[in-house]
Amino acid sequence: MTSPPSAPDPLPVPAEIVANLRSAWEEVAAPGASFTGEQRVAITAEARRAWSGEAAGSAPEDAGLPPAAGEAARRLAASPHGIRRPWVEDIVGGGLGYAGYVEIVGIVSRVVASDTFTDALGLAGAPLPDPRPGPPSGEIAAVARPGQAWVPMVGATSITQALSLVPAENAALERYHGPMYLAFEEMADPAISRALTRPQMEFVAARTSAVNECFY
Amino acid sequence: MLSSSASATGTPVNLAAVTDPGVDPLIPGGAALAGFVEVVLRQSPTRAAAAAEVAARLGAPALVNAAAVIANFQMMNRVADGTGMPVGRGSRIRNAELIARLGLERFDHSDGTPAR
Repeated sequence: MTSPPSAPDPLPVPAEIVANLRSAWEEVAAPGASFTGEQRVAITAEARRAWSGEAAGSAPEDAGLPPAAGEAARRLAASPHGIRRPWVEDIVGGGLGYAGYVEIVGIVSRVVASDTFTDALGLAGAPLPDPRPGPPSGEIAAVARPGQAWVPMVGATSITQALSLVPAENAALERYHGPMYLAFEEMADPAISRALTRPQMEFVAARTSAVNECFY
Repeated sequence: MLSSSASATGTPVNLAAVTDPGVDPLIPGGAALAGFVEVVLRQSPTRAAAAAEVAARLGAPALVNAAAVIANFQMMNRVADGTGMPVGRGSRIRNAELIARLGLERFDHSDGTPAR
């Protein structure tokens, strides 16, 4: 049985965030476009180890993934600011292909985000989910093309299309984004507020990106 | 978005605080938020104290909101860095002065060339 993140009592965590974290965790355990549920959970385990500062494990290789998968999970989790295009091309050429790499970007980014949220609030992180059976879907966007970024995308190069080579991953990103920050369609409103005002949210976002050394 | 939202809402902000933790952000509760971001991302053992500071200044719902925004940008930063997402030319031109003033070029690793 998949375990969602622990209840946020006594902090007033909105129900939509709790549901979002639960959904993200369940998605990790399900088969993806290129990987089985077991392989996705193994990628999750490796990302979590790297983000928490633990030494590399062997979960991806044990799950039948090439070494590039573990390396990608570790780098994306622990030091994404150091990623350069030649490294991406090496990883892609190491048995993952662009679709496999993009799927790993999606998994790792949401796992680190969820662990960051629970850790920030002193909540217990969710245990690794049990993988769901089934083969990878193979659902890749055939219309994706190389653009100005390092991976193919559907349409113009855009952060909202960043994972669109693997439609399920791009959809998961958008689902995660709304409850944690703002839905894509809300972002054009400079005065929108949650518990924080929009300037406070943007300051937190900007400072996060600065500490992470992310130019975008 | 920080600059435009501050302008739209009449909120004071010192943008230098984005890259310099020693600068007062001027935003209400800004110093506490900056401190919280720092310790969360550094996984510092002082996270609980920083969280308590945010909750004391802005309320528990704001603390949760801040943690969610940090989490979201942990995701988005990895997506951007992992895919080599470039900042568009129009945005670079509009924000050229700010990029230079805050020294943000040092974070730019995209090369603007297509995937092969």
